[in-house]
Amino acid sequence: MANIVWMQTGACSGDTMALLCADRPSIENLAQLYSVNFLWHPSLTAERRFGDVLEAVLSGRETIDILCIEGSLMIGPDGSGLYDTWKGRAKIDIVRQLAPLARHVVAMGTCAAFGGVHAASPNPTDCTGLQFMKNEPGGLLGPDWRSRSGLPVINVAGCPAHPNTITKVLAMLAENEPLPLDALNRPSAFFASLVHQGCTRNEYHEYDIEDDVLGGRACMFFSLGCRGPQTEAPCNTELWNGHSSKTRAGVPCFGCTSPDFPSDRDLFVTPKIGAVPKFLPLGVARAKYMAYKNLARAAAPERVVKREMEP
Amino acid sequence: MSRVTVDIDLNRVEGDLEFQLDLEDGVVVDARCIGTLYRGFEQIMIGRAPRDSLVITPRICGICGTAHLYAATLALEQVAGITPPAHAVHVRNLCLLAETLQSDLRQTFLFFTPDFCNPIYGSHPLAAELSEAFAPLKGSVVRGCLKSTRELVGIVAIFGGQWPHSTYMLPGGISQPANNRRLLDSRDTLASVRQWFEQSVIGGDLDEWLALDSGAALFRWLAASPTRNRSASGLFTRFARDIGLHQLGSGTGHLLSYGVNHRPDGSGSELPAGFFNADTQQVEPLDHLQINEHVRHSWFLDYPGGKHPWQGETIPNHQPGTDRYTWAKAPRYGNRVVQTGPLAELRIAGDPLITDLLTSEGDNTWLRQFARLRRAGWLLNSMAGTIKSLKALVNEPHFLDPGIDVWPDGESYGMVEAARGALGHWLCIKNGVIEKYQIVTPTAWNASPRDSSGQHGHWERSIIGLTVPDPENPVEIGHIVRSHDPCLVCTVHFIGSHKKTHFNV
Repeated sequence: MANIVWMQTGACSGDTMALLCADRPSIENLAQLYSVNFLWHPSLTAERRFGDVLEAVLSGRETIDILCIEGSLMIGPDGSGLYDTWKGRAKIDIVRQLAPLARHVVAMGTCAAFGGVHAASPNPTDCTGLQFMKNEPGGLLGPDWRSRSGLPVINVAGCPAHPNTITKVLAMLAENEPLPLDALNRPSAFFASLVHQGCTRNEYHEYDIEDDVLGGRACMFFSLGCRGPQTEAPCNTELWNGHSSKTRAGVPCFGCTSPDFPSDRDLFVTPKIGAVPKFLPLGVARAKYMAYKNLARAAAPERVVKREMEP
Repeated sequence: MSRVTVDIDLNRVEGDLEFQLDLEDGVVVDARCIGTLYRGFEQIMIGRAPRDSLVITPRICGICGTAHLYAATLALEQVAGITPPAHAVHVRNLCLLAETLQSDLRQTFLFFTPDFCNPIYGSHPLAAELSEAFAPLKGSVVRGCLKSTRELVGIVAIFGGQWPHSTYMLPGGISQPANNRRLLDSRDTLASVRQWFEQSVIGGDLDEWLALDSGAALFRWLAASPTRNRSASGLFTRFARDIGLHQLGSGTGHLLSYGVNHRPDGSGSELPAGFFNADTQQVEPLDHLQINEHVRHSWFLDYPGGKHPWQGETIPNHQPGTDRYTWAKAPRYGNRVVQTGPLAELRIAGDPLITDLLTSEGDNTWLRQFARLRRAGWLLNSMAGTIKSLKALVNEPHFLDPGIDVWPDGESYGMVEAARGALGHWLCIKNGVIEKYQIVTPTAWNASPRDSSGQHGHWERSIIGLTVPDPENPVEIGHIVRSHDPCLVCTVHFIGSHKKTHFNV
């Protein structure tokens, strides 16, 4: 049985809602089939009180196997942490107390991983992630911090994190499966594909047929701010809510699994150098990309140029 | 007489909440509702491109992101004089109705009814039945609710790509049209949720249940059949009324709604907007200029009286140890304390059953929660009607490009009913970027602190006067507070080290 303490800090509860939306595995199955025991979850625990759980864990009477943190870590005002409190105590102090006791610490969502939406300029609450502040290693716990398992904070990034990524990661940790991490400490099993992979607008991108107005059928990468070709996330390899993804539905990918989400620039506009996006698909050389695009455009079939194909 | 101040923490989704209560001989004589989290969204919006509000503000709330997206979109359309096509309005409505329905069902069966399994009720004759239905993660109704709500938000994903947190509403329409495939998927999802609702939640035919027009008719209908009596709403009603929840937790009588299911032609909503004045018992037309926000007891830079959101400011100023006690502001409607949510929506719309119950028993814990189930039933039909309207519009445009390079200067607002009630976004644009953004959430109305004339907020009011027989397990407070839909289970408890005992009057 793996004991989970799930704590919300500066959060919107989106990752908790995503947890309730997971279907492979579902939260019911997580509890029943994967030996996961929610010692504390703010929206699921019925009878215990947070104070009891805190006391039991701090005194060593009960153990935490997995500590999940949902939300940004509010450092302000003036380093006091008082923008986010539990019974007058700064939540960041409680997180600092609990983290060393847990076998694994998981940042559930981009806020706990990298600071997230609350850390957007001007970062009014002086908030940060657990082990990163945007791209900079550090955060609340510092770059060298390791949990009892020897791992850094596991970043299940996303705003919110993908429902089935949340439950799969918890099931894997509960069953002591190895969980290799990428350079941003995200579990590679879920962050080794791009949002672009599996996007149903791919054929439009392939032939360089780009929309410059929202609401259309073609690719949104060149003009409408879509970051699908740069964003590592499972959104199009494991669909959302059993149905779709943002890019399939004509919503640009805003790169919400990335440390710099949300960027300061206009989120619906792609910054460009000349006619080509400033930031290219991950790892692509500019000159070669431009040559490919010119050829691609020339090869585009009429049905694609005329946007006859449904994404 | 001994006076004791106790702290109660409420674990919830949408920001954290605590109550501080003054008890005199076991009776609550004063209550302070404390918002313990400040996130600074209104400051983050300043200086950003106007459309960024469609990405940033849904992230205020993981449960009501669709409502925030809708309000932000309406505000942008208003400032630029954009009229969205009917096709888009119906899709927006369908998604918001789905989000609201999922919230009503989860709030009831994941957050409210688990309290009925509290050990304090272990010897109640209904205890076994309650546990079979409502035990967390295991109860039959709970499992049905988890499954149905997962399916429901799939409707938002069909049109918007994902739930929570998408951005498929745009000034001028929506990102992707409805088509017959998507509509059939939605219809089919809705049909299976309706089937579960009829079988498990009401134990009977939905239309028949919705046609009940008085308290007496409801109780007769329930008593006439064991299936209805044993259903989730039957069990909930029998038990809640047996422990007296219909006599507990009366707050303010003034009710506010911004209207549900906006009509595309701008002629109003299926459940109309309005203000129910408890003094005159009349519904008055909604006037957003009546809204103002006070900060006299909040941790924000002070200003006298209340300010309309267009003039509003949100400058944090944490002052512990003073008579300021919360990160929430105190919104008022014409300086009156109001409550908002399904009870308000249905009373303002003149639903005969809710109107009768409110008139005869007043605002109470059971009724607020029952109104949420009543609205859930209503939403099922409203969604079905919306899908039907959409079928006729699939070949009409879903998006009309407003062709805006630089957004015009101006002030505007967007007002919708979120799951928890009245939600408004007010914004000012200057030089093409957002100059000011103010958001008044439903929970801000309900959970507000005292205002500058000392009036308590609705939740505070609903607790003052309550007798708390066992301060170690104050389960009554849990029932009352959760019936306000504070977004999540509230674990209500008293911590010894926080007690301050005064010996005064």
